[in-house]
Amino acid sequence: MFWNIYWKRILWFVRNTETIIWTWIFPLMLATLFYAVFTNIDASGQFSRMPVGVVDNGAYRQDAAFRAALESVSGEGDGSLFDLRLLPSQGEADTLLEKGEIDGYILVEDVPVLIVSGSGLRQTITKSFIDRYLQTKGAVEAVILRGGDFESVSAFLEPADYTEEISLSQNPPTEKVGYFYALLAMVCLYGGFQGMTTVTGLQANLSPLGARRTMAPVGRFRMVAYDMLGGVTTQYMCLLVIVAYINFVLGVSFGPKLWLVLLTCLAGSLLGVAFGAMISVTSKLKAQAKIAVLITVTMVCCFLSGLMVSGINYTVVQNAPAVAWLNPAARIADAFYCLYYYDTYERFFLNIGIIMAMTTAMLAVTAVFVRRQRYESI
Amino acid sequence: MAEITGRGPNGAGASPVIKVRSLVKRYGELVALDHFELEVRRGEIFGLLGPNGSGKTTAINCMLSLLKYGKGEVSLFGEPMKSDNYAVKKRIGVVMQNVAVFNELTVVENIDYFCGLYVPEKAKRKALTDEAIAFTGLDDYRKFLPKKLSGGLLRRLNIACGIAHKPELIFLDEPTVAVDPQSRNHILEGIRELNRNGATVVYTSHYMEEVEQLCTRIMIMDKGKAVATGTKEELKAMIRTGEKLTAEIYDLPENVLGEIRGVDGIFQADYSDNRLTARYPADGRHMITILDILRRGNVAFGRVSSEPPTLNDVFLEITGKELKD
Repeated sequence: MFWNIYWKRILWFVRNTETIIWTWIFPLMLATLFYAVFTNIDASGQFSRMPVGVVDNGAYRQDAAFRAALESVSGEGDGSLFDLRLLPSQGEADTLLEKGEIDGYILVEDVPVLIVSGSGLRQTITKSFIDRYLQTKGAVEAVILRGGDFESVSAFLEPADYTEEISLSQNPPTEKVGYFYALLAMVCLYGGFQGMTTVTGLQANLSPLGARRTMAPVGRFRMVAYDMLGGVTTQYMCLLVIVAYINFVLGVSFGPKLWLVLLTCLAGSLLGVAFGAMISVTSKLKAQAKIAVLITVTMVCCFLSGLMVSGINYTVVQNAPAVAWLNPAARIADAFYCLYYYDTYERFFLNIGIIMAMTTAMLAVTAVFVRRQRYESI
Repeated sequence: MAEITGRGPNGAGASPVIKVRSLVKRYGELVALDHFELEVRRGEIFGLLGPNGSGKTTAINCMLSLLKYGKGEVSLFGEPMKSDNYAVKKRIGVVMQNVAVFNELTVVENIDYFCGLYVPEKAKRKALTDEAIAFTGLDDYRKFLPKKLSGGLLRRLNIACGIAHKPELIFLDEPTVAVDPQSRNHILEGIRELNRNGATVVYTSHYMEEVEQLCTRIMIMDKGKAVATGTKEELKAMIRTGEKLTAEIYDLPENVLGEIRGVDGIFQADYSDNRLTARYPADGRHMITILDILRRGNVAFGRVSSEPPTLNDVFLEITGKELKD
């Protein structure tokens, strides 16, 4: 009995065009689209060495201190600021500047001067470097003139850190993962199609199929449970495929705790199926209208969890925390987020607890409506 | 209107499989079943005949405990029918008016699924599924999805899903609606075979010819009430019409029509659309009398036919309206 209902349910799912489009093809396409759009976001935020020229004149060669300072922040190393080019003349420097091959050039006469053709972040950084150099140089000279000894000058030059940098996350921060996690939350909620079909196919007042199945000598809850289990299984399979695609094909990381990712997918599948079942039983709309309601509610939840606009989830948390906590999509996305960023599990398990509580509540509502086997009209 | 009940031999004495007492079902102000009574005996093919909206499907849904009803009692196999009486449900097969199958499952998967709700053993189920496929003539379509089947084949699949587990009592609710003649004959022959194999059948239809051909006992329903019950012969014997004459006449003078109406035993004679219709008891004399009157009145007539009353005539005489209405 169990395998008959359960297995046919899975067959139903893998052959149903609408469900395949919404729960498989659409999320895979959306993931690919996200990948295409967001793949350069992280790269654009990274700092690259600035091409800066310095006129290799006599004054520059004689200013050993400046030369040393400049060379210390140039080159191939990690801390390098400049891709430094020694230029034989100011004329050559002007030509490269006009062509845009360098962001600016430094001309050392009495003091180093920065010549640029425009303004921007790179030019500001170069100017700040020169200003900082001149300021330090002036301060050191003042200390020496006032009879400062070597130790006091050394102490002065020693960089003092008044803050300590601590990494809160085991993984590097990246904006794009939020979109993919919200996308997975959407797929979980699309499990609602499973729940909706389960309920519609079991209620005599909703479909002829429901009438025929109500006549079968099988306990109501048994039938619902087997059917829903089939729905959850297929939804879970769907999520695993999408997670594998996002992780292994698109290269989006979920952090190192794979089994917890799988647990989140399972909890999300349960929530999605229960979500659809509840919407189906509590509304008297026709089947197509119910699907429209399901999609609309899902998309609103996903929007508030950051699927369409990055950061909207933080705005909701700040301005309407209750909405954020009760938004199933936000909880699922946040669970994935916790696995990626946090070393501790408190928040993750809080999310899983809320997801399971929501699932239980939705199933309880569904059970109240579904237990009925006799109807006023069909 | 009081119910007229025949007392024929069919099923008489057999134990009732279905017993319905004083069933009342309302949809708001509308009374869908008005103190409906029914008794179906083991081995019968019992027909519920009535126009659309007469309460046939509502009666079945109440008997199956799908619908709540205000008053009355329903017992199947001697037990009160409740929605959680699974022992009784296991002995019943239902073929709904609307096709109720999974569009994503093949013919064989659909039958196996519904059979599996009654028969858990896989091997037994497979044999039953194969039997149901052979029975409904769907062998060539085993791997077809329902959307690839014609209307008639889809109806056959609907029936196969309802009877695969070999129920003792089968409810067939208008199983031949929108079915081609070939499939219809196949379905009707199949129902006879089910009955020969021991199943009691409750068959609803608004096609009187079907019910007349198939059913051993018939209940005529109107406005949620049983208006007559019996074998077709008993039903026909309940009315005055024993024979119905129809004659094609271009022009029938009023005096000739009056003379026909005046003949002793002819209780109805009408002329409309160039057609004379007369009803009278079946004694063989009246047809000759009518033709004689026409000849004497110099009335030219074309084709003349005489036929025994149909169930439509029974319905017409009892309710005052056509069954087709």
